Amino acid sequence: MTTSAHMTTSAQTVVAPARARTATATATLRRKQGFQHGGWFVAPFLLLFVLFVIWPLLRGVYLSFTDANISGEGASFVGLDNYREALNDSAMWDALGHSAYFTLLVVPCITVLAFLLAMLAHNIERGKWLWRLCFFVPFLLPSTVAANMFQWLFTQGIGLINETFGLTTPWLTDKSYAMLAIVIETLWWTVGFSFLLYLAALQGIPDHLYEAAKLDGANAWHRMVHITLPMLRNITGLVIALQILASLQLFDQAVVMMDFSPGPELSTRSFVQYTLEQGFTSYRVGYASAMSIIFFVIIAVVALARMWLLRNREEGGR
Amino acid sequence: MAVAGSFGFAALGTGADALASGADTRVRYWNLFSGGDGANMIAMLDAFRKATPDIDVKDSTLQWGNPFYTKLAMAAAGNRAPELGVMHMGRVTGFSPGRLLDPWDVDLLAKYGVRQEDFNPALWNRGVIDGKLYALPLDIHVQLCFYRKDVLGKAGLLGDDGRMIPVTSTDEWFDVLKKAKAAQKKGLQTIGLWTNDQNFQWWFFVAFYTQLGGQWFDDDNTEVLFDADKATQVLEFLRRHVTDGYVIPGAPTGEQFVNGAPFTWEGNWSVPVFSGAELDYGATPLPPVFGKQATHAESHAFVLPHQSGRGGATNEGAHELAAYVVKHALQWAAGGHIPAYTPTLSTDAYKKLTPQNEYVSAMDHQATEPKVWFAGSTGVLAQDLGPVVVSSTMGSAKPASVAQTMKKHLTKLLASKNPMDGRTAAQGGAVA
Repeated sequence: MTTSAHMTTSAQTVVAPARARTATATATLRRKQGFQHGGWFVAPFLLLFVLFVIWPLLRGVYLSFTDANISGEGASFVGLDNYREALNDSAMWDALGHSAYFTLLVVPCITVLAFLLAMLAHNIERGKWLWRLCFFVPFLLPSTVAANMFQWLFTQGIGLINETFGLTTPWLTDKSYAMLAIVIETLWWTVGFSFLLYLAALQGIPDHLYEAAKLDGANAWHRMVHITLPMLRNITGLVIALQILASLQLFDQAVVMMDFSPGPELSTRSFVQYTLEQGFTSYRVGYASAMSIIFFVIIAVVALARMWLLRNREEGGR
Repeated sequence: MAVAGSFGFAALGTGADALASGADTRVRYWNLFSGGDGANMIAMLDAFRKATPDIDVKDSTLQWGNPFYTKLAMAAAGNRAPELGVMHMGRVTGFSPGRLLDPWDVDLLAKYGVRQEDFNPALWNRGVIDGKLYALPLDIHVQLCFYRKDVLGKAGLLGDDGRMIPVTSTDEWFDVLKKAKAAQKKGLQTIGLWTNDQNFQWWFFVAFYTQLGGQWFDDDNTEVLFDADKATQVLEFLRRHVTDGYVIPGAPTGEQFVNGAPFTWEGNWSVPVFSGAELDYGATPLPPVFGKQATHAESHAFVLPHQSGRGGATNEGAHELAAYVVKHALQWAAGGHIPAYTPTLSTDAYKKLTPQNEYVSAMDHQATEPKVWFAGSTGVLAQDLGPVVVSSTMGSAKPASVAQTMKKHLTKLLASKNPMDGRTAAQGGAVA
């Protein structure tokens, strides 16, 4: 945040037309000083960032080329063996499939639901604050708390959900329902964040657009389709992007709801969980590192593909 | 002063705790026991502290399962290991004995009254690797067939001794289930079988596969001897409980038993739970439906995590503590476990424990996983094969094809290298 603000300022300083040489020199000097000054503020963060993000990342890349075990002893260089094994590991692809399936279910549901909830909270006249609070509060719960709660709700025999709807569905113990249970939990738990983004965007749409449309005789449906939705296009893109990236990294709620097991017949074992198992159950740190790098590449490709698609669409629109 | 001392120096990990309590030797001891087991263990440690005031026991309880093993491995590798630890016997082979574990000094153990002849030979040998003892067994914990005497009495399934009538074939077993179902409360399942649980299903499989005389690997661990036909028989047997309607898949097992379900198959650690609920119940080893007695058994065992300077008073203290707890395990038996130190089993106090006295024979009929690096409680073998067994029991795959899948997994595992030392099972030398 600080860095980007600072960069904007200096950028403006540079582009601003200089009246004389001295002015440019002063600006350069100020920029230099500014950097030194700002640098100290950023230093504590930078230090921790290097220590806990950059260094482990580099170390992970190195480990992925070794057969390192958890004890850290006697690792030797094995070249691309780990990558070769991982790409032929059907369990890894299954796990990736579970993460992708989860993402495919969660992203559309959460986007639509968040939009509907935001419309509701935005247009309601009475007790606006209560609606906002209700929709957003679940997001403030730690993932373990939310997951544990739903574990109880879904429990067969004594769970509130089966009890309320008169079902006997084995939500957590049958492979056809387990992932669905996790999706439902995730919807309830995280929809508040996207809801908030949508709500803020709705409030940012200028009233005069609606007034003008009304004067021109547009009804509520027309106002929605021709004003609200187009004005929310950017935020929808953001919501979808954030949800895809978050959902692919499925881990915590799934392991808590499944008592740290990979779920009935491995049906909820996510990519992250399989990586963890390889590193900490099988003690294969080198192999787990290689899988992490593969996952990193997959996520990066997804993120870049989205950016590329978006840019093409924007260019096509012009 | 003593309080200040322990507060100030405990974190440094020096001898401060020993100073604070006035003891000479400090023995750090890591275990994974919580709940009732934890309370029993602490009571035994307190008894040891009273009997041996010159040894200061500093015990730490860590989370059960893989976090514990990860921590122990890293501590041993980083030379910050405690003097004494606890492990599941099955995991010892894969824990790089000699590098992450130090061998026991059997003479020193004998000095404190623990000798090989006081243990079941097969159990003792599971802890021996390359001729050295690496794991001193504290107990075995077995899978049991719990039954409600009130329901079985009504169904005419109790013998004159008040225990469940013996069962020796699958037909007899399903006949028993049929009669019990007719006598039980409606709306409950007849037997709790953990059909969705990859650990329990794996343990049950190991038990019945052993009853059939099934083998895993040859003695050199070079060839897979897994018998897919026998495995299919076992898988079909487990599956039949579901198809014949004796199980409600996903229903809570212990809770239904407490509420009146006639049977449940559980680990012996459920004994305190059911006794606490004051049920009229009994517990036998899993029924020998394939003709031969065998029930799955795993064992908690004491180990010496590797310390580069192991020896001297602290090492002797670890031996003395382990020997004491192994010999005074009557309290431990209250948690349902069968003490490994056999003289305990013939004491009057133990013989009076019910239902422990009903299943103590399991000591002589242990079905265990093969002795390879990838075996052991929640180890790689169980994590690979457990879900496959579940898929058969739940009906998402056919028993015969599941048996083939299991064989494939075993072949792959046998060829894979132990990440701790880069050796395959065949190269591991883990043959007692």
